[in-house]
Amino acid sequence: MTFRKQAMIILRRDLRIEGRSGEAMFITVPFGLVALFLIPLALPLNTELLSTIGPGMFWVVTLLFGMFITFRQSAAESSAQKEQLRMLGTDPAARFTGRAAASAILLLGFELVVAPTMIVLFAPAAVPGWLAVTPLAILAAAGLAIIGTLAADLTASLRTRSALAPLLVAPLSVPLLVPAAQGMESIRTKNGILIPALFMVAVVLAVAVIGVVTAQPLEETT
Amino acid sequence: MKPRYALLGLATIGMVYGFSWATRMPGDAVQGESARIISVHVPTAWLAFLAFGMTAVFGIAWLVTKHARADHLAAASAEVGVLFTGLALITGMIWGKATWGIAWDWGDARLASTAMMFFVYLGYLALRRATPDPTQRARRSAVLGAIGALQVPLVYFSVNIWRTLHQTQSVRPDGASMPTETLISMLVNLAAFTILYLGLLVWRADQLRFEEARLAQTHLTPNAGAAVIPPKLQPGS
Repeated sequence: MTFRKQAMIILRRDLRIEGRSGEAMFITVPFGLVALFLIPLALPLNTELLSTIGPGMFWVVTLLFGMFITFRQSAAESSAQKEQLRMLGTDPAARFTGRAAASAILLLGFELVVAPTMIVLFAPAAVPGWLAVTPLAILAAAGLAIIGTLAADLTASLRTRSALAPLLVAPLSVPLLVPAAQGMESIRTKNGILIPALFMVAVVLAVAVIGVVTAQPLEETT
Repeated sequence: MKPRYALLGLATIGMVYGFSWATRMPGDAVQGESARIISVHVPTAWLAFLAFGMTAVFGIAWLVTKHARADHLAAASAEVGVLFTGLALITGMIWGKATWGIAWDWGDARLASTAMMFFVYLGYLALRRATPDPTQRARRSAVLGAIGALQVPLVYFSVNIWRTLHQTQSVRPDGASMPTETLISMLVNLAAFTILYLGLLVWRADQLRFEEARLAQTHLTPNAGAAVIPPKLQPGS
């Protein structure tokens, strides 16, 4: 079976499990929305301030709460499942790619729900060309999904996993957060998003290469 | 004499010489006396980059060779790197307070990215502590070390990518934008701190080797709360 076919099977399996459990959509999405509701409560009720910080809060909420999507229980395979996949001859890199792709799709779903909520609650200045956020959102979802999948593999079977994995992902996501926020600002000031987008492409490619190359050695740890 | 003592002795002599140059350098026209901190700040920041870069190199070396020494060196390099990154952040904040009027500026890309690099390596050390099995620990930390090293060029070039408060590199291929005494003090300390890094690296790597050997000898596992295995009953007992 080809690499692509193996990755697609893993992707479909992960999405099917998520469809059954609804873990990301019924737990993580409301969790992220709660954060968006909490922020204005902790700040002085200044509409101008809220409209300024709104787009930035969108990325922070996406990166901090979205990472729980990549750590969701349905993405974790038991030792028996891993052993079975290994015996079936599944390429660890294909497994990694499939899982990361499934997480990226779910993260995009997360962004699709959070973004309109942010626009309604924070009312950022309406600027023509907001659709240009789409490539930034896709790149952020892809990058975070890869970093999250790597962190999930790195902390697999550790007792401290629930605390350790977010500690690894949050600072590693900074090269995605900064250009994403800058790109949003560029859209607001009617400048191009090419440079931040290219920077994000470079980061996504770098982590994707590391993830694929290290999939085999990481599988040996669990 | 053990190499580590020779390295530490050499580093001490170098630092004494470097700091003596720091007292001789002229005060900066804009920054005044506070500019002398460059003799400590730049070497500590350089070591932060070097140490984390070497953590990745030793980690990859472990993945290739599976030699325990490479893992011990990677761990030691990360520990020393965390120490020097902390020092670079503290000295940078002191310098920022004296020059910019504030110790921390959120808009400054170099400050924020250095702090994030610091947390990446705190995560690296936390991952090592959380993994009791030596082989698993080496493998996982080698991968994380390689990912974490992506931050090093980002932090280094952050002053060029995002033109914020932090000044760009003072020493470039086309020359240095500082007086000769300042440059000498900085370069001597740069060399001395690098030797100090090597000494600390060898010292800590040896300690880690001894700790691992002792644990293996006494059959102790470092994870508290591990399952208690009942003694095997001998026939006739």
